[in-house]
Amino acid sequence: MRVAAVDLAGAVWRTLPRRVLAAAGALGLLIAAVPAATGAEPTPWQTLTLLRGVALTGALGLAFLLDDPARHLTAPVPVRRPVRQALRVALVAPLAALWWTAALLLVPSASRPPAGAITLEAAVVALLALAGAAAAVRLTEGARPGPAVAAALLLAAVLAPLSLPEDWALFVAPGDPRWAAAHDRWAVLLAGAVVAGAWCGPEPLGRRRWRGAG
Amino acid sequence: MSAVAVDAPVGAGTGARGSSNGALLALARFEARRLLTRVPVVVAFVAYAAWIVWHTPGSWDGHPALQEADRDTQAMPMLVGLAVLVSANFAALRPVRHGTEQHLGVLAMPAWRRTAAHALSVVPAALLTAVCVGGQFTWEALKPGAVGHGSPAELAAGPLVVLAAGTIGVLVASLVRSPVAAPLLVVPLLYLLVLGSGSGGADGVSWLAPVVVQSGGDALPSGLLGRPAAWHALYLAGIALCAAFLALLRAGGRNVAVRTGVALTLALAVAGGVLQARGAQPSPELTAARERAVSDPALRCTERGRSTYCAFPEWAPRVGVWAGVVDRVQALAGGTARERRLVVGQRIGAADLVSDAAVPPRSEPGRVTVGTAWGGNRVPEFSSAVAAVLVTGSEKAGGELCDGRMVTLMWLSLSWQDDPMDALRRVRLDDSVSGSAIVLSPTEPLSMTEGQTDVVRRLLEKPAGGTGERVKAHWDELTEPGVTTARAAELLGVAGPREADSCE
Repeated sequence: MRVAAVDLAGAVWRTLPRRVLAAAGALGLLIAAVPAATGAEPTPWQTLTLLRGVALTGALGLAFLLDDPARHLTAPVPVRRPVRQALRVALVAPLAALWWTAALLLVPSASRPPAGAITLEAAVVALLALAGAAAAVRLTEGARPGPAVAAALLLAAVLAPLSLPEDWALFVAPGDPRWAAAHDRWAVLLAGAVVAGAWCGPEPLGRRRWRGAG
Repeated sequence: MSAVAVDAPVGAGTGARGSSNGALLALARFEARRLLTRVPVVVAFVAYAAWIVWHTPGSWDGHPALQEADRDTQAMPMLVGLAVLVSANFAALRPVRHGTEQHLGVLAMPAWRRTAAHALSVVPAALLTAVCVGGQFTWEALKPGAVGHGSPAELAAGPLVVLAAGTIGVLVASLVRSPVAAPLLVVPLLYLLVLGSGSGGADGVSWLAPVVVQSGGDALPSGLLGRPAAWHALYLAGIALCAAFLALLRAGGRNVAVRTGVALTLALAVAGGVLQARGAQPSPELTAARERAVSDPALRCTERGRSTYCAFPEWAPRVGVWAGVVDRVQALAGGTARERRLVVGQRIGAADLVSDAAVPPRSEPGRVTVGTAWGGNRVPEFSSAVAAVLVTGSEKAGGELCDGRMVTLMWLSLSWQDDPMDALRRVRLDDSVSGSAIVLSPTEPLSMTEGQTDVVRRLLEKPAGGTGERVKAHWDELTEPGVTTARAAELLGVAGPREADSCE
């Protein structure tokens, strides 16, 4: 059984979109390294914006994590889809945590926002990407939902700061009195993304015939 | 299969050129329809249209200067551009995602012509943006209070940004055959757009950003703007076309037309970039013209009723509204002020698009200053300046005013307005109707003490007719320098202040 688990982990590792994840990770670290490379001393707001961009970059990579060209072949195998998807996430999670720590350490410490709060924001956007990908896999026949999910994530990332009403503000500055309330909202979003992602995991039995995404 | 693949390009080379172009256009039409119905593009256009409908009715308080309103059409197309970039990129990569590249390779149409069709498919999205830009600008221009002239080059920036974004998306698809490239490219682009928009356009480098927003300061006459808008439009067009031709070159279009296109459009983009950089620094003539516009502007003067109104030629249509305010305020005054001939002159504080300098008050008697903005709070502010000149004689004396004359001044300024109490709140810097406060005017602000505020509020709560009679009857005493607020209140028939006048 243990051998089977190791075999499965190896097989899943080989099917991960590693080049996509590597590209997104590299770009994220590049963005985080801009102040250090140019010797600039950004304001706390600029550093926060930079880290949000880094988190978005990472999430754009994670949107491709559940792309599986073989999904129709593997539908009947004994290891269920939630297990396989969870394995994908579990294989990437330590690397993503390391990557995010590196990004946090790369930005100037003088203007770094509170690590816990910004990590919560990064976790939410990453989980939203994964939940979106899981939803696309569950609701459509498409084998590669990544591009559509990435586009949706980008659109949301651009539109949300422009259009969220004052009462639902999410993108606030560190000194803002709404900082704590905004991060309560981020925490609610986190729970929502986890629940949605988990619900989208299983292979539905009575499958509606939807056209694939993209 | 392989035989067909080898033969196909030969067939394409010898086939009838017209039918080949027809196929290209048919593919471009199909891709354009697909592009315009992609979810991100639809959402972006809906958000854009919603923003226009939400923003335009209240912009510039209904009195836009069109040389300023044209720039306002540039920011939102960037959002559409991002959606078009990603969607055009995904469309060009569809064969990769679906594993059909080899299948398409057997078609008579070579790969670079398919890329050309993808580049052409962006054009309708740019045209739709142009329609939105045109709609927004026409809406502004049709407002009854609109003055000035828009610039076609400024209006072209939005659609050209969308066009450039689309062709860059196609270029990226031909360079990196992975759908992750375009979304990842958008993240640094977002920083570039935000930084570029906020840079202020002071030097040539900042004009390399797709849209350069310059805000702050008053609206200026078109001749003083000094924005290299036409060169910037040329630069954007060069970027858009150059990206398209590079995509063709990369996709295997190695013929003379494509190579020439790359060279020409690259030259176009570089020329636009260099010329706009030279235009970003104001020329000596422009600097001189700006200094003249601040110190001794060339105004066009017209007589309306008793008074003379001098405005920059583009603002001439607004003279009638100013005259309406002056007539109403003057009708409330008494004594010689009722017949006084005023000279209303338009002035600007600083003639660049960045600094926001205050306009110094006039010391000559009977001169009133009016700015280039109008509507909303600008109306009670101008009304206060007119009242200050009628009560004290000149703008400079009005700014130094610190006695009971302030009561008469504010009553003249506000009582004719539709909602005097609301006008009082708006004309005061802290939006209050009690306590001491600064009162805004086109030049130096006036100041009201707490007692004066209480008296003015009581006056405005009473019916205007009775107070009007008293103002006219006691005009000489009310406008005498040194009259106390308590005495003014007594003359006007309301309770006086609790404490004596004291100006901070």
